[in-house]
Order: sequence, then structure tokens, then C-alpha cells
Amino acid sequence: MVTIADYKGKVKPDWCPGCGNFAQLSAISMVLANMGIEPKDAVIASGIGCSSNMPEFINTYGFHGLHGRLIPVASAIKWANPKLTVIGYGGDGDGFFEGTQHFYHAAKRNIDITYIVSDNQVFGLTTGQASPTAAMGMKTKSTPNGNIEKPLNPLDFALAAGATFVARAFSGDAKHLQEMIKLGIQHKGFSFIDVFSPCVTYNKNNSYDYFRSRVYKLENNDKSDLLGAYKLAQELGDKIPIGVLYQKDEKTYEDYDPIIANTSLVEREPVKITEEHLAEFL
Amino acid sequence: MKNDEVIIRVGGAAGDGVQSAGLILARVFSRSGMHVNTYNYYQSIIRGGQSWYQIRASHREVRSQGDGLDVLIALNKDALERHTNPKINEGGASPLPKEGVAIMDSSMTGYKEFDVDYTPVPLGEIALKYSKNTLLKNTVAIGAAMGSLQMNFDILADVIRDQFGKKGDIAEQNVKAAKEGYDYYSQKYKKIKKDLKVSNEKRYLIAGGEAAGLGAATGGLKMYFGYPMTPASSILHFLAEHSTQYGVFVKITEDEISAINMAIGANYAGVRAMTGSSGGGFSLMTEALGMAGMVEVPLVVYEAQRAGPSTGLPTKTEQGDLMQVIGASQGDYPKVILAPRNIEELFHLTREALNIAERYQMPVILMVDLYLAEHYETISKPDLEFKIDHGKRAQDNQKDYRRYAYSEDGISARAIPGQPGLMHNEDSDEHNEFGDVVSDAETDPTLRTLSMEKRMKKMETYAKEIPPTPTYRADDAEYMVVQWGSTQGAVEEAIDILREKGLKVGGLEIFHIHPLNRDIEKKLSGRKKIIVVENNFSGQLNRLLKSEFSIKTELITKYDGESFYPEALSKEIEKKIGGN
Repeated sequence: MVTIADYKGKVKPDWCPGCGNFAQLSAISMVLANMGIEPKDAVIASGIGCSSNMPEFINTYGFHGLHGRLIPVASAIKWANPKLTVIGYGGDGDGFFEGTQHFYHAAKRNIDITYIVSDNQVFGLTTGQASPTAAMGMKTKSTPNGNIEKPLNPLDFALAAGATFVARAFSGDAKHLQEMIKLGIQHKGFSFIDVFSPCVTYNKNNSYDYFRSRVYKLENNDKSDLLGAYKLAQELGDKIPIGVLYQKDEKTYEDYDPIIANTSLVEREPVKITEEHLAEFL
Repeated sequence: MKNDEVIIRVGGAAGDGVQSAGLILARVFSRSGMHVNTYNYYQSIIRGGQSWYQIRASHREVRSQGDGLDVLIALNKDALERHTNPKINEGGASPLPKEGVAIMDSSMTGYKEFDVDYTPVPLGEIALKYSKNTLLKNTVAIGAAMGSLQMNFDILADVIRDQFGKKGDIAEQNVKAAKEGYDYYSQKYKKIKKDLKVSNEKRYLIAGGEAAGLGAATGGLKMYFGYPMTPASSILHFLAEHSTQYGVFVKITEDEISAINMAIGANYAGVRAMTGSSGGGFSLMTEALGMAGMVEVPLVVYEAQRAGPSTGLPTKTEQGDLMQVIGASQGDYPKVILAPRNIEELFHLTREALNIAERYQMPVILMVDLYLAEHYETISKPDLEFKIDHGKRAQDNQKDYRRYAYSEDGISARAIPGQPGLMHNEDSDEHNEFGDVVSDAETDPTLRTLSMEKRMKKMETYAKEIPPTPTYRADDAEYMVVQWGSTQGAVEEAIDILREKGLKVGGLEIFHIHPLNRDIEKKLSGRKKIIVVENNFSGQLNRLLKSEFSIKTELITKYDGESFYPEALSKEIEKKIGGN
């Protein structure tokens, strides 16, 4: 019997009090425990940024890599050992600036990992610069006169890339957040969950109140409707949907590749190279 | 020109099948029990241009592309004129001498004539007898070339049949066309008189990239990640083609950054994985290379140099990446750099690199160059026995597990995800023995110092097992020629030439680039002159040697995109010896 206590890390999170990341840390821990996944079988790969410090604070196998590069690491871990539950976890700066093309290609490949982005529209660890999801006009250290760049829309980006599970959650709604993470992990294929996660220190605009007054839960939407999902992804005004926008059953990259399909490379012995293999060089 | 070896060169445009013709010829010699060394001169172009492929063969060892030319197969007029012109300008290749023969199509006219033996063969005409198009003319030319040397036609026929294996009819058409070319030449022209000894013992003929792939597979490789870039593509293609046979997962990634991060992820998960690129792609990998050093994940990177800087000469060789590879990534971290000297060594060092990387939990970079990666050589039968060493591994549920436990040798036991009771974090931030970060709230200068020393201690441990630096005819040598990587063959043959002239010249061959074996200084001491030979502009190894040892050196460089040729190199060495 796995409990949430099993997932408690020995290092205390050093995020600012009130940071949206806390809710995600407990949601991930709770979902993994409730799903009966043992800590030894869970890997969290992260990039660089406040949120990416998470692997330290949770008792799983963790890989805290480079800024923007968590997806290649997570992908290869899954390919090497399909028995593991692999979660990629990082921020919007990490994932949608330097990590953009990895994100796109992992979605396209439909690798069976869950990618959770703590989206706070700002760079936190580097003390407050505009992130790729920062709103137009937002004043930050890097945009003292206001951001003049359109924000990236992570959901329609994921949909365009071919992600087979696209959802949004909000750190201010823990129960719903847990539900999204659970569905994401359960989904076989690339799952993307964009989580509104207020940065209480560097982003005074996108606060808990800001999101709380805007988000509404999707109910009974047709999750197989790609165009419908695109439309929902554009709702970023007074009403912002949270929930599963899109989900599709599709073969994963692993299913297609004969070397890793139904095989755990970490357990399989290397192929013994024999005289027969050498014949072609004679 | 040496009597106990033969050099054949096939010249034509890209798309003419120059390389496949060359490979058929190379295979005939290797199956005749001879040693073979090939050279590929080509451009970054799919059709057109001017490329050539050279095969040097002998019953004794041939360690480079060599000097001289016996038989030229000119597939077009341009090739004929280029290679018969005494003022040939192909990066050091010899022109066809007076006693050589030039095989070309009888219909070729109006070419500039030089003092060589032209031996026209109706290549196109014969080809058309067996096929609707003239594609077979290369085969006819191959037949003629084998006729000029009176090689056993049956062996050629077998090679052709294997080449066209599945297409039975086409294979037989080719065999017939080759036979007619062989007979035509034999009846009409003089034979090349050579003292070539053949035997029934076939030799293994393999390209550098293939040997690296085969070596890796025998070394337990299970995953390879890469992005196309000449000349690192040859290992990628080879492994992709052999993916099923070797059980190696091969993935083209969105960029080289992804390739190396994937290789790190796979190794972290407990699976032997490699990545590779040329200098440009390698420069994208450097941040992650340092991470592998920091998180102590095993990693082997195959770095195939081409002529730089920037996009440079994509199809040309150079040894210009040494400083980039030595200096790759920020900060100090443990790493090993190996530069195999020949294809057989590349086979062995690739799998050895996998063991070193895993035993020491650090990156190992295999530096090759275009010449080494792409040319073919005969090698002794590959030894398939190899002991895979996974290094220190933690026991399941081991008490008080510390992923980065300080130890005498700097190496700590790894835990692989899935092992019970050993959950921990591997961190690119500075961390303590447990893997907990000491870069933020827990900043701790003492722990930082200890962690740095722990990692770097691996270099001290490793230093004890660096193999001795090989020498060549060095015992009584007054002059020492220092080389690294693929220039071994040309340098040794240059030394042989100088020895025949009575000059006491020897060689020091550095395949272990980092860390350098301290024996180098001793092996170079007491000599009259030390001459460093490098295929780059600034003499990068020379700079390194001078910063590590108190030695005085002279430098010979070549940076025209081609390899050294023994004869020309011997003259340059002689000049250095002569001058004071």
C-alpha cells in the first residue's frame, strides 16, 4: 500500500510562501500514491527554474537537468525502461523558450510521458523577466516599458504538434489539478498539462484572484474534437477553460519501434555479436 | 612506385558510382588475402563535381592511401585530364606516371594528352550489350582494371554477385560485362607488372564508422541518438541499418542538444547509449557534456571532425576540433578523450570507451576525423569477446544510500531507477553526497569544495590506468615525429622512407588525448628534434603538449582538407631535420 507519506522528500521546498508549485508538488505526490505507483518506479525529470527544483522535494528518482532540456531526458528514460512512470516537470520559460522544439517533437512522436508545466508567465529563479507566455504590456525586469511580444499559447501549440492529451489546470484548484494529473498519467501517449501557477513574487498580474475569477471547468466537451479543442484553447479572456481539451487514442512511438516495443532495454541483455554478423565484412 | 603494392584510382562525377566501383575493387583485393587502404575524395554535392576513389593494396600492410598510381579509371574527360596531368592538384595525390595505364571509354576524344599509357576500352558499347543503358560501363571498367593486373576473375565475379545479390539477372549481366572488359584489356594491352602475392585467406574490409558501430555493439550498446552531419553520419547509418541485427535502438532527434540529452537520459536509466556528431553538432552538445560530468552519468560521444571552421568543408578531413573538445563546456569536470589511430583501434576503443564511461561515470569522447570515419581498411578478424564492466552499482534497499558518496577513487555506486529503496535526485546544480543541491538555500562552500574534489578525483584514479603512449621505431631515434589520431599511417610510412635514407627518425603516437600520459615527456627527452605533425592550421596538439610538458617542438601542418601523403610528409620532416 503506497501512501502520500512515501513520496515525502527529505528536502523542504524552498519556494516562496504561496507559490503555485506547492499545490503541484502535493498533487503529483498524491496522484502517484493513489495510483499505487511505488516511488522506485516513478521518475521526475526537470529543467531549470523554480518549478524545476521539484525532484529534490519528492521521494522518487529525479533528474534535474539543463534549462529547456527535460523532454529529451524524460523521453529516453521512458524508451530505456517502459515500466517507469515518467513525468517531465518544468516552467513556461524552460519549456516554451529553449525547450520549444523538444516539446513539439515529443508531442509529435507521442512518447508515453506526462509533461506538466508550471505556467506562471514569468521567469522566477532569474528574478523576474518576461516569459514566452507573458501577456502583452506586462512590465518585468526585461520589459520595463511593457511586453511587446504576443504570448505563446501552449495549448494550441501542443494540439498543433499532435499531442494526444492536452489539458489545463490551476494551482488554486487542487482537486481538479489532481484529476488532470491522474488522467494525464493514465493516458497512453504524450500528455501535456499546462498549469496556471501564480508567481506571488514576480507576477502581480496573474494572481490567484486573477485566475480564480476567470477559470471555468470543462464539462461534457467532446474531447475527440480537435477543432473544438483549438477553439477552447483560444479562450484566454474573461473566461478560461480548465480541464481536458483533447484526448485521442493513438499508437505511441514505442509501439512502432521494433527494438523497444514491448521490451525493457534496461532488462534485456545486449545482442551477442557473432561470426555470422561479421560475414558482411569479408 | 613500389613493386609490391598497387594503387588504382576511379575518377568521375558525383552520381557516377565512383565509390561503389572503388568498393568492388577494394573487396576483390581483400578477398585475395591482401591488405587494403582506400581514400575517398568527394564534394558536398549529390550530382556533378569531381570525385575519386582510390584503392591501395598489397600483401604487406598498407597504412595510408600511399603515393603513386598504377591504374586510373577515368569515367569522364575531366577525370582523365586531372589525374594524368603531372601538375595534379588534388591535395597531394600522385598523378598517373608514364608507366601507369589510363582506362577510359573508347569514345572519349579531344582530351589534353600527357605522357601516359592510354588504354581505351569500349565501356559504353560493351555495357549496352548487356543492358539498355550504359550504367554497366563502370563494371566493364572494373573488369578491365582487374585484367590489367591479371587478378583472378572468379573473385571479381563473386564480389559482383554479392553486390547485386538479390537482383539475380542484373548480377549476371554485370559479371558478363566485367568479363568482357577483363578480356578486352587482357588481349589488347600490356599488363601491369607487379609482385603481388595473393592468398585464399580473405581479409575483413571495414570503414571507420562501421568499425565504431560494430565495436559499440560488441560493447553492449543498446541506444544511439544522432542528427545527420557528415562525417558522423556513417556510424548513424550503419547502426540504423543494423538496428534489428544488433538490437540497437537508433533515433534521429530534432537537434544535437536533444541527441546528447537523450543519451544521458538513457544512460541514467541504466542503458548503454551513445551520441555522435561532427564539430558543429558537437558544439551544440557541449552544455550537456558538462552535465554528464556533473551528474556523473556515463556517456560516450563520437566526434567526427571535418574541416572547419563553421560549416567549413563538409566532405573534407581535418583535426581542427581538439581545442574545442578539450575545452568543451563550462567548469572543470572529469572526462576522457581518445583519438583512435586506425580503424582496428577505433573498433576496440569504442567499446573500451563504453566501459570507461560506465566505470568512471563520466563522459568519454572518441575523436575521429572524416578520413578515419569514411575510408576502408582491412583489419584483423574482430575479436568478439568483450567483458562489459558496469562499474559500481548500489544494492537494492542499501542502507544510508548516498548516490555521490565520497570515496577513495572518487567513484560512487550508481542506483538505477526502478531499484527499490535508492530513490535520489541527480542534479546539474552542485550537490552533496545525497544529490541534494548545495547551490541555493543550502549553499555550503565546504561541501562544494568536497564535491568538486570528489569528481575530479576520478581523473587521478583514471591516470593510473592510462595505457603507455605507443612509439614507432623510436629506440635509437634522434628525431621524433609526434602525431595523433588518424595520421598514424602516413606518419609511419614517412618515417620508413626517412629510415631508408639512413635518418634516425622515430614516432610517438598519441591516441590518449586527455588526460595525457606523463610518459610523453620521458619518451621525447634526449632527442635532437621533436616534430609535431597535425592535420590542422594552428597545431592544436602542439599547443597542448607545450602547455603540459617542457619541450621544444617544431610543427608541420596541413589544412587543405586532405590527409597527409607519406612521400611529401617525409620531405617536410627531412627539411625540419636539416634546418637548424
